[in-house]
Amino acid sequence: MYDHQNKHNSQPRYTPLKTLEVFKAVNRSFPHTDEINHIHDQGGKVFGWLCTYVPEEILHAAGILPVRITGYDRETDLDDGNAYLYMNNCSFSRSCLQMGLTKEYAFLDGVVGGSTCDGARRLFDLWRQYIGTPFHHVLTVPRKYTENAHSLYLAEVEMFKTHLEDHLEIKITDEELMGSIELYNQTRSLLRELYNHRKKPNPPISGSEVMEVLDACFRMPKESFNHHLKKLLQELDGSQNAYSGRARLMLSGSVLANPDFISSIEQQGGLVVADELCTSTRYWGDMVEVQPGEPPLKALARRYLNNYPCARMFPSEERFRRIIETAREFKVDGVISEIIRYCVPYSHDLPLLTKRLADINIPVLSIDLEYGSSGSGQIATRVQAFLEMIEAKK
Amino acid sequence: MKKAANNKIQSIVRACRIILRMIEADPNTRHSQKMYYRMLLQYYTRLRDARENGQFIAAHTVFFPAEILLAMDIIPMHTETTTWMTSLFTGECGDILAAGARLGMATEICAPHRGMAGAFASGALPRPDVMVWSNMVCDNTAKSGELVMDICGCPGFFIDRPFKDSGLEKTYMAGEIRDMIAFLEDKSGKKMDYDRLSTIVERMDRQIELTRQVNELRKNVPTPFSPLGFLELLTIDYLFPGQPESIEYLETLKAELEEMVKQKKGAIPKERFRLMTLFIPPMYLMSFLEKLSVESGAVSVIEPFFTFWGEGRLDASRPVEAVVEKAYMIPETRMYGPLGESALEAIKKCAREWKVDGAVYYADVGCRHSCATIKLFKDALAEVDVPVLTIDCDVVDQTVTSEEEVRDKMERFFELLEDR
Repeated sequence: MYDHQNKHNSQPRYTPLKTLEVFKAVNRSFPHTDEINHIHDQGGKVFGWLCTYVPEEILHAAGILPVRITGYDRETDLDDGNAYLYMNNCSFSRSCLQMGLTKEYAFLDGVVGGSTCDGARRLFDLWRQYIGTPFHHVLTVPRKYTENAHSLYLAEVEMFKTHLEDHLEIKITDEELMGSIELYNQTRSLLRELYNHRKKPNPPISGSEVMEVLDACFRMPKESFNHHLKKLLQELDGSQNAYSGRARLMLSGSVLANPDFISSIEQQGGLVVADELCTSTRYWGDMVEVQPGEPPLKALARRYLNNYPCARMFPSEERFRRIIETAREFKVDGVISEIIRYCVPYSHDLPLLTKRLADINIPVLSIDLEYGSSGSGQIATRVQAFLEMIEAKK
Repeated sequence: MKKAANNKIQSIVRACRIILRMIEADPNTRHSQKMYYRMLLQYYTRLRDARENGQFIAAHTVFFPAEILLAMDIIPMHTETTTWMTSLFTGECGDILAAGARLGMATEICAPHRGMAGAFASGALPRPDVMVWSNMVCDNTAKSGELVMDICGCPGFFIDRPFKDSGLEKTYMAGEIRDMIAFLEDKSGKKMDYDRLSTIVERMDRQIELTRQVNELRKNVPTPFSPLGFLELLTIDYLFPGQPESIEYLETLKAELEEMVKQKKGAIPKERFRLMTLFIPPMYLMSFLEKLSVESGAVSVIEPFFTFWGEGRLDASRPVEAVVEKAYMIPETRMYGPLGESALEAIKKCAREWKVDGAVYYADVGCRHSCATIKLFKDALAEVDVPVLTIDCDVVDQTVTSEEEVRDKMERFFELLEDR
């Protein structure tokens, strides 16, 4: 669809995916979606989580609807966020805090964070101090994969579960945890199927459409998300849509949730087929594998620490290895690194990642942006130049 | 190596020598201050000559437990301090920051870390034999080691300091330290001398205690310690943890301050404003800030996150555990864990007990985790009626603010304090 003839903002020729509208509707109304409102009105609990190192399954097993706290899906004034977090914290943190301070997340019964990066931990500190959500918990997340790190993280996850049980005056059983793991694993398998479509030379779904699906994934109950995702996959199986582009691209870097940003790349003729973001593969990448006789909590802790890593983890080579593996799997021609300003872990990794990708002849375009950005003329120009460079190499 | 034109260590050595010559000729200079500069000269001369002397060099980041290196007779190279010292003594870090930019480091990355990488890449610092670092106290420290390893082609070890302070977390960190010792033994061929480590820990405990006593003396009105003297306390902990020189320096300083208190003599002729300093002033403006302090009668009397040590003692009979304990007592690490009531209470306590009139927050644009506390700290200090001045700056990058801008802001703040 995004071929040379159609690249200048012309309408792509394809049949709209009906199920996608469900996800788009959720994203448009978030955080005040029908499902969240309904659960809240019925006296159910809704908790927000701040980072992919928070095991959502524990919240789900406690009968809670976990939703990811995200900021505005557009660039907007962040006056309160700036005043509380200062300008040099990433705009994702400031945007989330702004929404919290303006009561957009007033329905939350709890907030759970992790000690993942400076922005995330300070967002948690200020949330706890100024927003007044009834329950708060922050997990220590080790930065290593060693046996000791796994033991520590397991203990942290156990403490989190106990804290939650005490707060809600309930017991979360292993059976309930197993049920939640199964449900979340189903989500991961279905997303893997969705991504398999993206491996095709002419995928039936665009990168921006996939972003709509992913955004909805952490804003809906997994039960209904899975139901709709299955329907979308059926639609895709019978779809005649076939996107093409000047180059197959992978997105890598900071948290990104705005499909319009990906559209802006696709409008230049880039075919976005893969990603390495905490709203995409780093969120759903790995399954929870429970070994026979193993406590489910142990399997959960192992998965969350070993999952497709954030740039915070050490050694960074593990993240680079996974990126290279993904790039090869999806046959990408180039990587667009999008880093939110003041997102230090990804900024630090960039020189080394660029080197590693250059070693396998994959060029990198580095874009600094603000969270919620839908792209700009300057970004479009740079993407065009990048695509021309890739085409010239072919 | 030491003859290289762009060698920053040599530049620092040269500047230290000149300053030392000047202050040694000045009868009014504190004896402890002379000792301090001699210590700096010693640190950087030893580092400059390490390669020629066949010594093993470990580059390390801030708050890394250098006690371990010293106990193993390894030459430490404190990377961020070296960038600061470059700015302080040469007044210019532009070349190494530009070299960092050429590596692809974004301007949002903390300038001392950009400078450090740039300095290694441009040969302005000696190539270390190993890079060792930790996540104390921010993402920049956590992420800076791997690029240095790549630039210098040296092996490295990262210590993961957990976020909270439970017993489990401290045990985890002790395991990290033991693994790092094994790494250093393997790479350097030197064995850890645990008796020596115990001695260093014992002295570190004394060093902390002396710093507390110095701070107690600073409570006096007028305060006896120089307006920005706290940087000396900070630097000796960074560069000489648990070393005999530190004890000698602190004991001398303490005696000097006691004498001044006895004589009811202040560090500056007319003390008008007692300040709390939050974060680090721009290094390249230090002479100007000293002068402004004297002119305005403003003196920093306490720094909750730099000199105000957490409670506790170090147990020399369990030296590895003591090193971990120190990692949780370091004043700035109070900002690393969850920022709860205890951190806010500590600030209020400092304001009350040191009779603080106002606080100056040096908002370093490259330091996200500290700047995000400005609102929290302002609100906490408002409860004890202490106004806060925020100065946007960078600890080494001169392009962020100027002397004029800082003077203007400071003078207005002093007017406000006077009106109160």
